[in-house]
Amino acid sequence: MRQGRILAVGAISLALAAEIAGQSANCSFNPDSGLSPREIWSRLSSQADLVAPLARRRAAQPRPEPVVLRNFVDTEIFGKMERDGIRWTVPSSDEEFLRRVSLDLTGQIPTAEKVKQFLADTSAGKRDRLIDELLASEEFVDRWTLWLGDHVQMVQISDNVPMGRSGRDAYYTWMRDSFRAARPYDQMVRELITGRGLSHTSGPANYWVRQIQTNGPLHDTWDNLSARTGDMFLGLPLECVSCHSGLGHLEAVNTGLVPRTRTEFWKNAAFFATDAHRFQEGANLEIEWLVEPNRQPARAQYSLNTTSGNKTPRQPGSDGKNVVDPAFFLSGEQPREGEGRREAYARILTAHPQFARATVNYIWRQIFGLGIVEPADSFDLLRQDTATLVPGATLQPTHPELLTKLANHFVANGYNIRTLLRTIVQSSAYQLSSYYTPGPWNELWTPYYARHYPRRMLAESVIDAIIRVTGVNTQFQVANSNLTITRAMQLQDPTEGRGSFRPLLDAFGRGDRDSTARSRDGSIVQALVMLNDPFVTTRIRATSGTNVDRILRTSQVPATIVEELYIATLSRRPSTAERVAAVAYLQSGDLARRTEDLQYALLNRLQFLYN
Amino acid sequence: MKKKSCTCTADGSSLFSGEGFSRRRFLRIAGTGVVASYFADVLSPALLHGATGSAPPLLGTARNCIFIFLSGGPSQVDMWDLKEGPWTPADLAPTSYGEVRWPQGLLPRTAQHLSKLAIIRTGMAWAAVHPLAQKWAQIARNPSGATGGFAPHIGAVVSLETQARRGLNDVLPGFIALNGTSAGAGYFPASHAPFRVQPSQNGLAALSHPDGAARLEERWNLLRLLDTERAEDSLGRDATDMEVFYDQAKTLVDTPGINQIFTFTAAERTRYGSTGFGDSLVVARNLVASDRGARFIQVTLGGWDHHDNIYNRAANRSLYAQCRSLDDGLPALLADLSTMPGADSGKTLLDETLVVILGEFGRTVGPLSQNGGRDHYLRMSVAMAGGGVRGGTIIGRTDEVGDRAVEHGWSGKRDVRPEDITATIYSALGIDYTIVRPDDPLGRGFEYVPFAKDGTYKPVDELFF
Repeated sequence: MRQGRILAVGAISLALAAEIAGQSANCSFNPDSGLSPREIWSRLSSQADLVAPLARRRAAQPRPEPVVLRNFVDTEIFGKMERDGIRWTVPSSDEEFLRRVSLDLTGQIPTAEKVKQFLADTSAGKRDRLIDELLASEEFVDRWTLWLGDHVQMVQISDNVPMGRSGRDAYYTWMRDSFRAARPYDQMVRELITGRGLSHTSGPANYWVRQIQTNGPLHDTWDNLSARTGDMFLGLPLECVSCHSGLGHLEAVNTGLVPRTRTEFWKNAAFFATDAHRFQEGANLEIEWLVEPNRQPARAQYSLNTTSGNKTPRQPGSDGKNVVDPAFFLSGEQPREGEGRREAYARILTAHPQFARATVNYIWRQIFGLGIVEPADSFDLLRQDTATLVPGATLQPTHPELLTKLANHFVANGYNIRTLLRTIVQSSAYQLSSYYTPGPWNELWTPYYARHYPRRMLAESVIDAIIRVTGVNTQFQVANSNLTITRAMQLQDPTEGRGSFRPLLDAFGRGDRDSTARSRDGSIVQALVMLNDPFVTTRIRATSGTNVDRILRTSQVPATIVEELYIATLSRRPSTAERVAAVAYLQSGDLARRTEDLQYALLNRLQFLYN
Repeated sequence: MKKKSCTCTADGSSLFSGEGFSRRRFLRIAGTGVVASYFADVLSPALLHGATGSAPPLLGTARNCIFIFLSGGPSQVDMWDLKEGPWTPADLAPTSYGEVRWPQGLLPRTAQHLSKLAIIRTGMAWAAVHPLAQKWAQIARNPSGATGGFAPHIGAVVSLETQARRGLNDVLPGFIALNGTSAGAGYFPASHAPFRVQPSQNGLAALSHPDGAARLEERWNLLRLLDTERAEDSLGRDATDMEVFYDQAKTLVDTPGINQIFTFTAAERTRYGSTGFGDSLVVARNLVASDRGARFIQVTLGGWDHHDNIYNRAANRSLYAQCRSLDDGLPALLADLSTMPGADSGKTLLDETLVVILGEFGRTVGPLSQNGGRDHYLRMSVAMAGGGVRGGTIIGRTDEVGDRAVEHGWSGKRDVRPEDITATIYSALGIDYTIVRPDDPLGRGFEYVPFAKDGTYKPVDELFF
């Protein structure tokens, strides 16, 4: 029932948006439709009222802010808020939007020049043009290589196994090249799943290397590969059924996995069982791995005879079969005649709808801080549709239709991550303000996206932003590497980054891509380093080469200095009250000294870190 | 046997109160179908016990824990469980103290504190790979297992569990890691993450403002004047949390004597052996003596991976050199703690502080390898002192080479596992080691000590008075 109503309103809203836009509903909406936002809203709400129950209509009072529905993201997001009587906030200002979208797409804050130029630009469509500019930038490649590095846990040293610096570099270079060339994500994943060869030269071979389990039989490595491809590419916690079947274990965790068996997990792992790894000494005296078809054909199969390692014994079932043949966990599909097993797995996995659903959810989460399905790596496949819910269970996605539409959009656009991101950040939903203006904020509205929830910058962004604000560079040296690093966002993994910025980088929770995930949580140490670390305090001085010095050389007028510092540091102009207070402060003592203090205070504002 | 590992239900019928969890963490929980509220500041023990059954009897004999981690895997048969053979160099000078044979040549000063030390000789690791076993010992579970990926360090659990006992004076984070640690807060709130400190004679760089306290005050006031986001929720809960961290940080900077805790004199440094390890022990001592909220302090001493040249004095990091560092620092710590007053009248700091000394595993027993060393081995020893531990206690006996357990020497009637050591630490600190938190990311239930609820692992109560 509820599902049906959602669809009805969604359809009306979408139709309306299309009508107003005068173009197809799936394309980006032309903001210059000739209608005022209020007119748009009034036309939308009058039609929505036709299907909204009376109680809902009452709940929706007072009338929400007007909004332009730019694409299907908005239809779903605002449609749901409208139905549930949730009031959304105002659209973001240009200043807010510029900083946010720059950080989300590139990990970098805009330069002061960019802020001035963007604010001065009065032409239509400037936000869309900015988005395209950011998507085409080299900084975009940095940011999304970092994302994928986090996602597949690319790191030279982990608990399981050393990938080594050379292996890591090959892997990193492959990722960067892939993002730079805008290669389809499904193709990238197929290369990762099938990666073979020497790990110092074949980037994707390191996907296997990262999952090597040295303290157990080869089965443990195959199981790791099966489980990790499950959570990274399908958003499924297959790990759960790697030790035991679902029944009697997962009722409270994942209803979709309850009927699933460990045997089915083994079948999924058996796609990897033809291959094995060996190591040799490679460049820089580092271990180099060779991933290749097992040279002992007898061992190149998933045999049920293990009693050692990290898993409970793998024993034959009642059918007495001692060897498990490959079959895809979600469909039972098997390799084609003559097809390599890993190639088959790569093909079958990336063609399955769950691959796109999991991926768009992961990407959405990067942008909104919250997945449509949470946890993003634990989809419950029986909780995606009302038709398959077990008694007492609720739908897992907050916006089921949106998730489906995003996935379809991703597939229809050739698994292009830039296209997906463009659609998301072009939406009015993404472009809502971080500030909630209709009244007191209620935390329960967060999953409605009734405001854009501010998040702390990534650790690497903090370093790069401090450097950009203060105009004082640092050395990003990485040992034994041919890569030139000019930004923290380009550091290949969390083991890298020696230098004066290290305390900040570590304090801001970049994680270790092993057991400690990247975190946007705050901490005392973060505050301590922002307040007292010389990386900050030396950069705010009015000494040669700093931005403070440059501003003071250009102008001695307090109001100008205040304006310049706000734009450089917070990507916005000061409010009147802020300007008055800051000017009074600058006038209260030695100008250079006071300017240093103002720069310091702006860097330590919560607004610097949270966008 | 059907193993029930979850305490919550898919329909969200299990109620619990979260513990200062961030907005996103709350929603992650909500996304699993579990009902949670993060508005309560501290997890309610009553509610937890409602979910996990009644608490077992707890020792509750200690206020603090100093966790000394000998990373690399110390050779137990040359140290805590000395076994002599033709391989034993004469200068190990085996000496008898009652029934204890002791490597007088390696640990002469520690020998003077044997009356304070208890030794578990039937310790047993689960893994013989360094990182795996190191983390195992610090999160009390298989890092490759289901909850291993997000499990908090023992110290983070202690920090969270002792949060309710914190007073106004407790300005320090609950978990402090000196010289490194193998794990962090896991899925717990970041406020329980290890406060990582690299001890130096001058204290903590970030605790003082490079441009002076007066300048910081001016800047802080300006910040307060301009930062309109403070004291309101306009940037959301995460930013509001950060504001709290800023205030805590400023408190640390402003509180007189905080940097003194992290500072030490040249004389103290010398007395503790003039090593980084010794420096850490001085700071650990200062931290528990200050009684300002730091309840779990980890000190790490690496370099015990003696695959070769274990008895070669000339070698860079021979057993002699390693033991020298330990033997300089540990006795000084025990001596100081045992003469400094505790928080409760009549008690010493040592009475209130459980000192645990262990590595991730032990080393092969009997004759040396071809390389003149000892390789990784699961058999290990664990030493403890203070915090209610009965000095001189020896748990378990191994055979003549130190391999097989001849006598387990405790009610568990089996080898002592890292999980048992963790249960012991929790119990000594008055923490219910059988708690199963229903708020983990997988929603499967996070056991403080895996299977402790079923009685599989438990504290080694025989160590205590």
